Amino acid sequence: MKGEDLIERVLREGERRADEVEVFYARGESVSTEIKKGIIGTAEEAEAWSMAIRTVKDGRIGFSSTGDPDRWKECLDAALASGRIATPQQWGGFPKPANLTSTASSSDGDLIVAVEDAAGMVGDLLSGAAEHPVEVVGGGANLARSYLMVANTSGVLYGMDRTVAAVSLEAIREQSTGYEFDASPFRADIDARSVGEQAASLAARSLGGRDIETGRYDVVLSPIAAASILGQVLVPAISGRNVKAGRSFLADKIGEQIFDERLSVYDDPFAPGLGSTAWDAEGVPTRRLVFVQQGVLQRFAYDLKTGYRYGEGSTGSAVRSGGEGPGIGMHNLFVDGPRMKDPGDERAVWIHDVVGAHTANPFSGDFSVEISNPFWVEEGDLVDPIRTAMFSGNVFEMLREIGGLGKDTRRVGRLTIPSIRLNNQQIIGK
Amino acid sequence: MAEVRYYDIRCVRGEVTLVDIDNGVVESAGTSFFDKAVIRVLGSKGWGILTRDHVDIDSKRETNSLVEAAARLAAVTEDRLDLADAPRGELPVPPLEEDPRDVDLEEKTRLLAGIEGAARVLGVANTRARYTEGIDAVRFLDSNGNEYSYEAVRSGFSVLAIASRNGVMQMGSERDHIITGFNLRGKQDLGRKAGEVAVSLLDAKLAKGGTRRAVLDPELAGVFTHEAVGHASEGDLVREGASVLGGKIGERIGCEGLVIVDDPTLHEFGFIPVDAEGVAVQRTEIIRDGILSSYLHNRETLAAVGNGVPGHARAEHGAPPIVRMSNTFIENGDAAYAEILSECRDGILLIGSRGGQVDPGRGVFQFNAEYGYLIEGGETTDMVRDVSLSGEILSTLHNITLLGDDRKMSPGYCGKGGQSVPVSDGAPHLLLENATIGGRGE
Repeated sequence: MKGEDLIERVLREGERRADEVEVFYARGESVSTEIKKGIIGTAEEAEAWSMAIRTVKDGRIGFSSTGDPDRWKECLDAALASGRIATPQQWGGFPKPANLTSTASSSDGDLIVAVEDAAGMVGDLLSGAAEHPVEVVGGGANLARSYLMVANTSGVLYGMDRTVAAVSLEAIREQSTGYEFDASPFRADIDARSVGEQAASLAARSLGGRDIETGRYDVVLSPIAAASILGQVLVPAISGRNVKAGRSFLADKIGEQIFDERLSVYDDPFAPGLGSTAWDAEGVPTRRLVFVQQGVLQRFAYDLKTGYRYGEGSTGSAVRSGGEGPGIGMHNLFVDGPRMKDPGDERAVWIHDVVGAHTANPFSGDFSVEISNPFWVEEGDLVDPIRTAMFSGNVFEMLREIGGLGKDTRRVGRLTIPSIRLNNQQIIGK
Repeated sequence: MAEVRYYDIRCVRGEVTLVDIDNGVVESAGTSFFDKAVIRVLGSKGWGILTRDHVDIDSKRETNSLVEAAARLAAVTEDRLDLADAPRGELPVPPLEEDPRDVDLEEKTRLLAGIEGAARVLGVANTRARYTEGIDAVRFLDSNGNEYSYEAVRSGFSVLAIASRNGVMQMGSERDHIITGFNLRGKQDLGRKAGEVAVSLLDAKLAKGGTRRAVLDPELAGVFTHEAVGHASEGDLVREGASVLGGKIGERIGCEGLVIVDDPTLHEFGFIPVDAEGVAVQRTEIIRDGILSSYLHNRETLAAVGNGVPGHARAEHGAPPIVRMSNTFIENGDAAYAEILSECRDGILLIGSRGGQVDPGRGVFQFNAEYGYLIEGGETTDMVRDVSLSGEILSTLHNITLLGDDRKMSPGYCGKGGQSVPVSDGAPHLLLENATIGGRGE
């Protein structure tokens, strides 16, 4: 008993002891091949099974999860015990079944979870990397398929397939490193050869960088660098839980022009992407949410718990990771706006990636990070590599007036973002 | 059947108890369960690795079929790996002063609420505290007949305070995790400290970026040790050519008197009684008197690279073992803290850590302090915030000019290859010349 029968049993047993019960169920398989010494060194295959139970009784929410189907009773007991300790809150019930008309595909019917396919993708990565005089020091390919299900005692029972194809490659030439990656639900989106070629090109071209003097410069953040810095600061600031708890810089700014009018930020769960879904991790129908429209702050994201507590209603923004309970997150977040010709003609410092983005202060927005693969960019071309430097700033301040958005939009995890030109930024040389 | 040169099976069955209190509200408090197994087979070339939930390690039939499946995976590998012989043995796990399982969830929640409440000093707008307890039952067996089992118990908490005034928001945070028992009693002072730091940071200045003399406190100097030296000495990175410390054994890479150690035998948060391949753990001096002397190894990187000590294989449950740090630190020197400040004269004192990251191939690292103070004329003056430090592995260690006599270890978690493991790191106060300070003050 591992699938729907077990879910049904947990719901019926739980119902006798709580007002409401919810089960979130996931099973999946994945294969990966890892590069060592420039060839395949390791092949892995994983199967996983997990079940998370939430119970609600008198507004007290309990939670537990297990990776062992035989321990479902223990898991239900633990959820009920956890509910007895939680602070009671306003609660309007788990969602009822909805007529989900929208389609949101994050599954590729042609993707086969086979180690031979993953090995073939590594072959493509390596042939791309071989175009430049570098050594490959890491990387690999991963193929995964999972089935997710949410069910509750109000009658919701939704299931969906998810697939992921992902590749990465790390190359080095002397002390110059290059890293590139890509991930998509669709196998055909992944051009492993090109990912390998780009990683190798970065390592090869970054060699022999010159020092840069401390000072103020125009900067272009590549989509990767922009995603790293914005992801650390912007995503928590639009979470309704942080807003209501007094942990968001944006808390009292709805209706205000917080960013440059060329910037919009929205979550589109129906666009093709790693987080595409018609229902969220609590079974609430998802919708397109515009958080920032032409620089004006419109709204925040809520899950059921925070929504009920503050009378805001869920925005269908619940996500789950690992064995933890649901929390507020993004499905497919877009940073978007009108594009300029390349990211500006005038000479600027182009930043491919940053080291230490996770040390940014998510509340104040301040950061100072080391930059990776920086180049001088002129008329859209990367001309001379820069050796090493730090980049300091404040996310909320720097987005108030941007130089423009590039045409090079790409997906970085669950964030889709173009390069961003920022004028007059602080660079600290060595 | 495909060739099997070696196999091992490692099962971790466990429970995780979490309590999350946000502004006085018990958001969640409860226990979850997991049971993960990793089966590795070394075929004629490389590893085939399977991950499963809920494997009966005592069932010969089940384990045999898993080993066969892993051997089929190994058959697609191309890179020939060998395993070095390594000493076996298991250290006793330190006894628990108070077993967290003997404390009920209500009491844990009440004690955590006390710490969280203590952080709510005047000027603090939000407080949050999180208790984390892990009970892991580990079992291991391999094709050479080695077997071990042990139980690991971890208990600890983090507390965060956010102060807010006129649209300015600042944070203070503290954490404490141990392996020797229940760790929530008598800890309100850490909550209070988080609150007080958050409030005082409201008046702190922005640090000015540039090159200058810096004093690192023991916690931040520990992160510096971990990021600047620890990762680059990991044998897997060295084998792949992804570390600037490759080929540098016997070379001077730091000042005289500098000793940097990784020691999994210490009863700190990174303690392991035996490594994830069943190899005995031992103190490893990465740097002795400024000279690079040992890499950290598992069996395969010892065979491929040499020049180091095995017993450093670690794994998160449900993930294959890789080379990791455990308890990493700089040994004490003989300078008193007052001497370090006065020798610094003019510079910056950096305190606490918000984490760090390294690119070991390029040899560049970055880490962030929680806050700091300007040092003027050998005395600390104004408080500064949002300050980070970056540097290059091969030059930075030469720039340590004074080593304090007050080493302290701090617990934390380290991420590598998608796996997170408990570690500790530490150092005495350090004086660093020509430090690159990142900050956006003018």
